[in-house]
Amino acid sequence: MLEARQLTKVYNGNTALRSLDLKVEPGEVFCLLGANGAGKTTTINLFLNFIEPTSGSALVNDIDVTSAPLETKKFLAYIPEQVMLYRNLTGVENLDYFVALNGAKRAKTELLKILADAGLPREVAERRVRDYSKGMRQKVGIAIAAAKDARALLLDEPTSGLDPKASNEFSELLARLSDNGVAILMATHDLFRAKESGTRVGIMREGRLLQTLRTSEISHSDLEQWYLGHMRTEKAAS
Amino acid sequence: MIATIARKEFLEMVRDGRARAASAAVLAMLIAALLMGWKEFRDVQTEIEAAKQTVRQQWLAQSPKNPHQAAHYGTYAFKPRNPLSLADSGINRFTGVALFLEPHRQNDLRFRPAQDATVLERFGQMTASATLEILLPLVIIMITFGSFAGEKESGTLRQVLSAGVQPRSLACGKFLGVGAALALLLAPATVMGVIVISPITLASGSWDSIARAAILSAGFLLYLGGWTLLCLCVSAWASSSRLALVILLGFWIGNCLVAPRAMADIAGRFHPSGSALESHLKVTREAREGPDGHNPNDPYWRSRKQELFKQYKVSNVADLPFNFDGLVAVEAEKYSTEVYRRHFREIWSVFERQDRVYRVGGMAAPMLAIQSLSMGLASTDFQQQRHFAEAAESYRARMALDMNGYIMNHVRYGDRQALAGRDLWETLPDFDYTMPDVRWVIANQRVSVTALAAWFGACFILAVWRAERVRPV
Repeated sequence: MLEARQLTKVYNGNTALRSLDLKVEPGEVFCLLGANGAGKTTTINLFLNFIEPTSGSALVNDIDVTSAPLETKKFLAYIPEQVMLYRNLTGVENLDYFVALNGAKRAKTELLKILADAGLPREVAERRVRDYSKGMRQKVGIAIAAAKDARALLLDEPTSGLDPKASNEFSELLARLSDNGVAILMATHDLFRAKESGTRVGIMREGRLLQTLRTSEISHSDLEQWYLGHMRTEKAAS
Repeated sequence: MIATIARKEFLEMVRDGRARAASAAVLAMLIAALLMGWKEFRDVQTEIEAAKQTVRQQWLAQSPKNPHQAAHYGTYAFKPRNPLSLADSGINRFTGVALFLEPHRQNDLRFRPAQDATVLERFGQMTASATLEILLPLVIIMITFGSFAGEKESGTLRQVLSAGVQPRSLACGKFLGVGAALALLLAPATVMGVIVISPITLASGSWDSIARAAILSAGFLLYLGGWTLLCLCVSAWASSSRLALVILLGFWIGNCLVAPRAMADIAGRFHPSGSALESHLKVTREAREGPDGHNPNDPYWRSRKQELFKQYKVSNVADLPFNFDGLVAVEAEKYSTEVYRRHFREIWSVFERQDRVYRVGGMAAPMLAIQSLSMGLASTDFQQQRHFAEAAESYRARMALDMNGYIMNHVRYGDRQALAGRDLWETLPDFDYTMPDVRWVIANQRVSVTALAAWFGACFILAVWRAERVRPV
């Protein structure tokens, strides 16, 4: 569903992503781990066609995102680290807007249910977003992604700043989505969440995908050791 | 999708307290300007109607007297007012609307409202037109400077573009959203304008005013539409909403505050008009250098008399087939009329060249273009002032000729006691002036219309070009 072929991005002589080869199949949750500047967000931006690759290609449902950006976005939903919404609209109005942008039309009761499923109660959903906490906004972002019924989901540090309960609810949502065959690519620092939600994890450093593992084959502590091992190598190298 | 974006933009603007406050302030000013314009229009119109009747009655009610003296009694020509002048008083405030017509001289217009204005008013009257030209662009800047830049900063642009929205559709939706918000802002003032102007227009039984109002509305649509597109373009280009605001305010200051003054100065520098006093002294001196119409013993008339004796083969002035004193008055008047006409033609042509420079400035500063078009359609621009003044001058010349001609053809030479009465006064028709129609106005405003169309077109192309390149990172 999501595929990177020798995907490379160079900014002003600095290589942010080097020849990335990656495949995320339907129902799979692939977690990209790595320090800041490792190339995780660049990878997501390339799949969203927010930036153009220097070489290689990013494909969504076997379609190159640079040649058919609008077509590929039909299959994609995206949740950034900080879900930003329109402050003067309510949560449900924001959801309605993004649903309409996706070309769909849903009744208000349906929208409220989607928000409630994402953990946002009705009385909060009908308040203007300017008073929302980060967690509340994140829930609206999840609802936006869920309402799209997308076949692939791109997540950029989605649980950053969420309380443990909200993070847990988020993991449950990811599980539901992957069970429905959605391919999920998640950039995160959260090793625990990666192990809980991911089917595979990949570690990135200086724009390279160094190694990938199946989460079913590794314990929480092994994952941590494995990650820290790579980080130490990076520190020593620098 | 465009309608969805437009609806969201509209809703956000309506809910934005700052935008609401600014819009309410501008709306209040617009309505106040319209009301004041309407009151001033109605008062001046009533005064002009009353004055026209009084002046005519006074002309007709003159006691029997020498016709030349009757001409010296004089009369007034009043410039009719177009209903749209209640929204744009143009140069009327500085030129006045009444001309005193008398023999031997062509006068300037009188009764200028600016003469009676307070010091504060002289700094500029906020007409409805000026509110739309100057203040409404500020509101547009306020509600659109962050339309792209703000979304980039807040991160919502990522969300929107990740949903598969084409940047061009986004720009289009934003443009329509701003348009809807402006339409909501302008609706009460438009309804009020229609209520105020319609009775006047319908009473005139002419479609001319309706056509003028329609063209003026189209002109403002181009002007304000261009502003909206420019704001979207700058917002899409700028890296931050603060930078977009600074750039747009800079352009607003240049367009609305600096350009009118700068273009007037440039026009005056390229085509200097000289001082009014200097000009008055020059024409008075030149008129006096000619034959004296009140002194038949002037050397010029002595020589003219000899020519006439030869032409009519007589040796005595009393044997001429007309009254020689009357001929002196007629020919002296013709001379002074020619001197004044030449003088005014020179002044008008300098003003016309200045006016042309100012209108060409509209290519760089669209406010100059919409200002010229608005004044033209309201019949308060320089060109229609000239049109009126020249019609009034023709009437003045005819009045002097009729009165002096009566002496020449109907009064016996030497009969200084001969009197004329109401029968003669009635032969002079009332001054019946028709303003140029809308086609004439548009023909004279080609540069302004072209400038406005070019402004909108350029802003449209820039906005589309820039919007297509908008990126969230």
